[in-house]
Amino acid sequence: MGMIKRLDIPLIIQGHKLHSYFPDSKYSIRCNTLVWKGYLQPSELSSRYLIKVVYQREKHPNVYVLEPKALILAEGKTKLEHVYDSPKQHLCIYYKRAKEWDATKLIADTIIPWTSEWLLHYEYWVATGTWHGGGIH
Amino acid sequence: MLTQEENKQFSEILETLGETLDITETQYNAAVSSYKAVGEWLAKPESSLAPYKPEIRPQGSFMLGTMVRPVNEKDDLDIDLVCELTGKNPSWTQYHLKQVVGNRLKDNESYKKMLDEEGRRCWTLIYSNNANYHLDILPSLVCNGYNTVLEKAFSAKALSNDFDTLSIRITDKEQGNYFIDPVAENWMKSNPFGYAKWFFNEASIDFRKTIMLSESVNPVPKYQKEKLPLQRVVQILKRHRDMMFNGHEDKPISIIITTLATKAYKKETSIIDALISISINMENFIESRYDYDSGKFVKWIANPVNPEENYADKWVEHPQREMNFYKWIEQVKHDIPNILQQRGLQNICNEMKNPFGEQVITKTFSMLGERSFNLRQSGSMGMNTGSGILSSVGTVNTRPHNFHGND
Repeated sequence: MGMIKRLDIPLIIQGHKLHSYFPDSKYSIRCNTLVWKGYLQPSELSSRYLIKVVYQREKHPNVYVLEPKALILAEGKTKLEHVYDSPKQHLCIYYKRAKEWDATKLIADTIIPWTSEWLLHYEYWVATGTWHGGGIH
Repeated sequence: MLTQEENKQFSEILETLGETLDITETQYNAAVSSYKAVGEWLAKPESSLAPYKPEIRPQGSFMLGTMVRPVNEKDDLDIDLVCELTGKNPSWTQYHLKQVVGNRLKDNESYKKMLDEEGRRCWTLIYSNNANYHLDILPSLVCNGYNTVLEKAFSAKALSNDFDTLSIRITDKEQGNYFIDPVAENWMKSNPFGYAKWFFNEASIDFRKTIMLSESVNPVPKYQKEKLPLQRVVQILKRHRDMMFNGHEDKPISIIITTLATKAYKKETSIIDALISISINMENFIESRYDYDSGKFVKWIANPVNPEENYADKWVEHPQREMNFYKWIEQVKHDIPNILQQRGLQNICNEMKNPFGEQVITKTFSMLGERSFNLRQSGSMGMNTGSGILSSVGTVNTRPHNFHGND
């Protein structure tokens, strides 16, 4: 256990790395919780989305789309694809049980590109009515 | 107005749209083997045409690589072919030449059943429903050694623009001398291969691509999956026309769209640049010429390989066609900038559905979505820092993961 803990990346490093990738973004660390807010645009012709990542130490990071709210749904659909909570726009971007992410990984190098990819496939989903981004239901 | 990267992504969308509009390799190969079989039947030793070495070669959009699938998927593709005879019996008139080809087709029980009513210049073979195409066969007369002339003209090194040597003689039921004149020099001239040479000269953007030129006159050309920017733009414009005038007889005709687009093309390598400049400039290539017979100016869209032929000659009789052409080009000039100013792939997609058809646009964006997914799966997708933009050149590699289920 102890060894694994030592490999965990401290919140301050997670926050710093996020800010170095996205200099216009903001983050804060309070009560063992990192909150990052920044804009992501998944492709040259895509819209921009305001994203919030909430990461409490020893928990999984939670990713929300803050803007636009509410995200438009694909025609005939009643909720977003691959979310924990559609109204809260709380995204499911990786498979927890497969341990695709753990605290030894940088959020900036994993969660963020995955979020951008979610946004890209969100746009294709609204465009076509079909989710083309793969994943597990 | 567009950044280089935006331009690239729009071009990718239009390229994918072009792929969606194009006939499939399977359809293409089926059509080729059908007309090859017709050619072999015409050339059999026992055929009365055998001495004239009949050869079937594609012409028109099939040869130019600008075919588009019909808006209604149940409609047939028109495949335009030339049936070349080298020489003829000296006593034959246009009527005879047309009939010997028709009669030889009728000697074959299946072709006999497939033959449509005789056309003005062509014989049409209608294939079964699941083949979904028909062959328009234009009987024609070519000079001795025509094959060699063609090959030379279409070789990559050909510099001469002597299109006239490529012209052929055709039959036309509406010509006054149709039944009486055996002198081929008095028959109507047509130059589909001269036109094709002109088109490919204008369309080619580098030496490598001129391979397509020599391939195009091959009687059995290989399917070209990759297309030149001009070919894609012509496909996109024709589709826009088809959506706007589905089946209407006074729609702008393909030869006018192809000719004006080619004249307006300035060898742009990006599809989107080409589409923008062509849609703005193509109407400037419509001339006004004074017609001595009527004492009026008429609109003139010159055949590039025969300036005396006016592709817009029917506009005088059918003013609706001229009006429709200008209505169409105005609509293109409205739709293209409207699409280009959208941001958000879902919004771009949405604005493309009306002008190009909901089904093909949905398919286009589905293909793009799948391509992005495959790029990430292959490990080649990266994210740009600062923006979050994903592409094959992004610096932060997008590692394997799976989007998870709902709740």
